[in-house]
Amino acid sequence: MLEKYKTQFIGNSIQFVVLDEKGLVRESDNTCIPLKTGDSLKEFHPFFESLEAIAPEANNEITFNCIHLESEEKELITDLVLRREDNALLLVIYDLTQHYNEYQSVAQARNESIIQEQLIALKNIELEERERFKDQFIRNFSHEIRNPLTSIMSLTQVLSQTDLTAEQEQMVQYLNQSNAQLRLLLEDILSISMISSGKLQLVDKEFNLIKLLNLLTFTYNTKAKEAGLEFVAKIDEKLPQIVASDRLRIYQIITNILDNAIKYTETGQIEFSVQLNQKRANKANIRFEISDTGRGIPAAQLESIFTSFTQVYDTDKEQGSGLGLSIVKGLLKLMDSEIQVTSEMDQGTRFFFDLNLKYPLPSSQRADKKDEILDTVVRKNLKKDKYKLLLVEDDVMIQTVVFKFLSGTDRFFIEIVSDGAKVMEEVVNTQYDLIIMDINIPNISGDQIARLIRDFPFKGIKDIPIIGVTGTLYDEDIAAYKAAGMNAIIPKPFAQEELLKVVFRYLK
Amino acid sequence: MGMQKSKKVLLLGHFGVGKTSLIRRFVSDSFSDAYKVTIGVHITKKVVDLPSGTNLSMILWDLEGTDELHLIRNAYLMGTHGVIFVFDVTRPATFQNIQRDLDIIKEKVKKAPVLIVGNKMDLVDPADVKRLLDENEIHSDYLTSAKTGDEVNEAFLEIASQLDA
Repeated sequence: MLEKYKTQFIGNSIQFVVLDEKGLVRESDNTCIPLKTGDSLKEFHPFFESLEAIAPEANNEITFNCIHLESEEKELITDLVLRREDNALLLVIYDLTQHYNEYQSVAQARNESIIQEQLIALKNIELEERERFKDQFIRNFSHEIRNPLTSIMSLTQVLSQTDLTAEQEQMVQYLNQSNAQLRLLLEDILSISMISSGKLQLVDKEFNLIKLLNLLTFTYNTKAKEAGLEFVAKIDEKLPQIVASDRLRIYQIITNILDNAIKYTETGQIEFSVQLNQKRANKANIRFEISDTGRGIPAAQLESIFTSFTQVYDTDKEQGSGLGLSIVKGLLKLMDSEIQVTSEMDQGTRFFFDLNLKYPLPSSQRADKKDEILDTVVRKNLKKDKYKLLLVEDDVMIQTVVFKFLSGTDRFFIEIVSDGAKVMEEVVNTQYDLIIMDINIPNISGDQIARLIRDFPFKGIKDIPIIGVTGTLYDEDIAAYKAAGMNAIIPKPFAQEELLKVVFRYLK
Repeated sequence: MGMQKSKKVLLLGHFGVGKTSLIRRFVSDSFSDAYKVTIGVHITKKVVDLPSGTNLSMILWDLEGTDELHLIRNAYLMGTHGVIFVFDVTRPATFQNIQRDLDIIKEKVKKAPVLIVGNKMDLVDPADVKRLLDENEIHSDYLTSAKTGDEVNEAFLEIASQLDA
């Protein structure tokens, strides 16, 4: 009985073949492969041809697993056992085709998945490298361009304060406009690079939202008038006054959209609406909406306008970087929001987004007070008539510019040092009231010098206000300079009033 | 007619590097983009006429790809005359431990010549591959493409010549 069952189960899957020493078939039960007495197995499949080479190394019995003996007629995957028996060879063929095919499909899925993982990992490395290169390139590029730009901008400003003919004045005005555009472009490129590389970090601080909206309304009312447009602001009275968020980035988002609205609207109006959606759990959900009566955006382009360097229209009215909306999208994403747009050709465009802003805070009026204190500081009366100021800068043009900006006020004695290694000696020998210091100077960097000054044992030296000047605007760098002991950082390029404002703030 | 010899040649390397495709290109001058994982071993044969006048019957053992060469069954390795080690130029994982892999092969298949072949050259810029291999100090005897056939015959005929010597 048992034999019968065994035969039923394995009968068709095992073949016994007896071979002579030359590999010719003596006997075969032909279960899997039809063989005749005298057949040469070498002719049946090349596997058997290799047995000649294998035989000398083999013991009395050898097993080969998962050997494909397929022929034109059928697929056959086998385990083979070869055993020496007296003057003959016994070959046992196990037909395990079904078993191995099942294993094959498992191996297929596993290998494909591993290969895919390897290729994705490789792709990611490549993308990261490319991103790093791009990031470094933009960083270097924006840094290197800031020195010449500072010179051009500042010297244009100095030039505008000299006696000029009407024609020259007009040319200087054009120069100023181009400078402003160039500066804006540079800021945009830097912003987009920081957003895309994930280096931009939001700085949530309390600020007066109403004041910000009033400032925007005032600024864009003027801009719209200049462009022959009407500006309508609808600010909800129920909005919280003090909120906590990144004021600078909210300002950047709104100004980017408003600038676009003015740029693409020839007649009609720009409407700026800020409405409270709801207040819940110390959070105010606020809808910001900017609509215009401009020429509109074709439906097919509504998606692509948020991609870098996309401009729907070529316009002579004002050149832009093509980065504005891309920056808006990136910043809003950081704020867990999303920019929405609807547009109708020749009717206008409407951009809107919702922000969840924290309010009210325990120190709800602090932001306001801080602003006032700051204003007082800036406007304070200075104790001395003249202050001793050290300028550490190796670029002769920047030296000239800063010198011109400061000397115009008639409040400073200015010394200039262009070698980092000589700064400490100068600081120790002369009692300075303030130091303006470029970060990248020869021999020792500005932040290293700041650290040395702060570590100096004598009062009067260790507490000299230091204002850093840099072409690097990455948050991490600015934080490092401040940690080194610099009181404030002025980004290049800078205008005269920007420099003076900071200098006066830190004079005692 | 010259002398006929039969030589067993193993193709080894990680999975998915194109061992089966190289054999298919060499034996039947064909190629398929579909990847079918080899399990166990497929054995094919091609007889080549060598300049020496020898008819060499190359018994090509296409082994299941693995990155664990030390686990290959000994039965597969017995009687091996020559080895072609194949890696995929697009996947560093298949060649980053090549020296360790070659040491294992030399330990297991003593005396057999080993030819090192980087495959899938059609997918990459040759200059990039050269730089990558140089940087990693990886020697390759042939850089092939089973898809285009580039350098495939040359590689197989090279090992055939070495086995004829």
